[in-house]
Amino acid sequence: MRFLGPEILAAVLLFSPFACPQAAPPQSAAPNAQTTTPTRYAPVDYDGWGKPIKPSAATERAAPAPRHDISGTWDPGNGPDDGGQFLGAKTLPVDGKPGHEPPYTPLGLETYLQTKPSNGARMVAPTDTNDPEIICNPQGFPRENLFQLRTTQIVQTPVSVIILYEFDRIWRVIWTDGRELPKDPEPRWFGYSVGKWVDDYTLVVESSGMDDRAWLDHAGRPQSADLRVEERFHRVDHDHLEWTVLIDDPKMYTKPWLAMDKFPMKLQPADFDVREMICSPSDYTEYNQLVGSPASDPTKERK
Amino acid sequence: MQNFKALLERSVAPNVVLALLMAFPVAKAQTAPSQSGAQKEHKSAPAPKHDISGTWDPGDNGIGQLGARAVPEDGDPAHRLPYTPAGLEALKLNKPSNSVRAVLPAETNDPVVTCDPQGMPREDLYEMRTTQIIQMPEKIFVLYTFGKVWRVIWTDGRELPKDPEPRWFGYSVGKWVDDYTLVVQTAGLDERSWIDRAGRPHSDALHVEERFHRVDRDHLELIVTLDDPKMYTKSWTALDKLRFDLQPPNFDVREMLCSPSELAEYNKLIGTPASEKSKK
Repeated sequence: MRFLGPEILAAVLLFSPFACPQAAPPQSAAPNAQTTTPTRYAPVDYDGWGKPIKPSAATERAAPAPRHDISGTWDPGNGPDDGGQFLGAKTLPVDGKPGHEPPYTPLGLETYLQTKPSNGARMVAPTDTNDPEIICNPQGFPRENLFQLRTTQIVQTPVSVIILYEFDRIWRVIWTDGRELPKDPEPRWFGYSVGKWVDDYTLVVESSGMDDRAWLDHAGRPQSADLRVEERFHRVDHDHLEWTVLIDDPKMYTKPWLAMDKFPMKLQPADFDVREMICSPSDYTEYNQLVGSPASDPTKERK
Repeated sequence: MQNFKALLERSVAPNVVLALLMAFPVAKAQTAPSQSGAQKEHKSAPAPKHDISGTWDPGDNGIGQLGARAVPEDGDPAHRLPYTPAGLEALKLNKPSNSVRAVLPAETNDPVVTCDPQGMPREDLYEMRTTQIIQMPEKIFVLYTFGKVWRVIWTDGRELPKDPEPRWFGYSVGKWVDDYTLVVQTAGLDERSWIDRAGRPHSDALHVEERFHRVDRDHLELIVTLDDPKMYTKSWTALDKLRFDLQPPNFDVREMLCSPSELAEYNKLIGTPASEKSKK
């Protein structure tokens, strides 16, 4: 009787990341992927077209990084939910643990305390939240990076880098043609972004002109019109990208802080179809009618 | 609530303007100098082959306030669509805020007014503005101004999925039928969306065909044909050669995003009748 321990152990180590329950392909009665409710998505093994996602072998070696190139279809490297950030910015989740709060100014803290998020240690009931995103206001930037960051496609043109997000199917442009950020522009939810290569493998992006009605993240961290965001996209090798987000807003925070710190992304094949995730007030109203509104709330009609 | 107070204190003019921009046809408001407003005829160059990429501007011709531009809901009998009985029933349920069937702003049930996604084909038929098309070897991205949404058209030879879960923007595949024409088929569409601003309905059986024709280097034409046997007795053309002018590649597209907060503000100040008869 041979001792099979090592073989079994090797098999478990090799295949355990992929032993998660097979989610139903989109053709079956899967949950409606368009809902905005703050529920976690089950691990997905199929892309938006119903094609199985090929797991990569643990021992796969990546080729060297191409120069000045962050294009591709990028998935969060530690699993499809790794960019969910339901408790707030990746580096500082509101989970009650010490050291997980950014360095607020008095105004920053006061603004933060007025927010009523729908997740985390400060959460309220679903219908009591004042999170603008819940009723389908645009996430804006940088929240688009800091909540529900999922399969992200990056396209490069000679004058720009364009980011196509899964959440809300939003695109965002980063101008790389040498232009400067506009001085005192009309605010936009997604602001204005310019980028340049600081070495062969790192694109640094500056953004400003963001709308202060947006929350910085899902935990309700605040932002003012003075917010400046610096992102670094670092192509580690052919299959890996690291995404860093630095928040600099002197009105709300006493010093800059990292919201994402080398968040890993992994390259998917080019034929990967991204699932559709779009905030829909109709979905949300129905959710509240069926689930979200407390039974005790007399103002909410129930079907 | 601090943010909301600041919103009230701030001049609401920009927000109202945005709401009005969405409600009424608007003169060209692009700040960058553009030839498309004058539709100047200048010497172009031959069309490149198998290439519809670029930043394309339709001027004001893509707004579609009265519905699909080829058949606006303007009372003209020639623009009446070939509804089935089910199609007519579905039409009656839709209360648009424009066209001859318009209701008051606060009474409309137009899903886009409350910021539901436009979906297809409406993203082509309402507020179609500067559109960026990016071609990759296996797919084409279409980046719309309205809603800042992107859409993918797969050109790698795959077939449309059979009986898929519906999506607002469906599933699209495309192929070149000659050197200058890309034909795109879209199906699997969520039936909650309206076809256009006038509230034409569709079922889950809707099939959309787009034809992108590169006329020459600087011009693109789009034809949109709809086929939905549950709602219409035959297929019909929704957009008949909408013309786009090529813009320079460094053209920054204005941000147009639906915001329920701004809509609530607009209704409070303007949209809701003083009699409040139509409180939703």
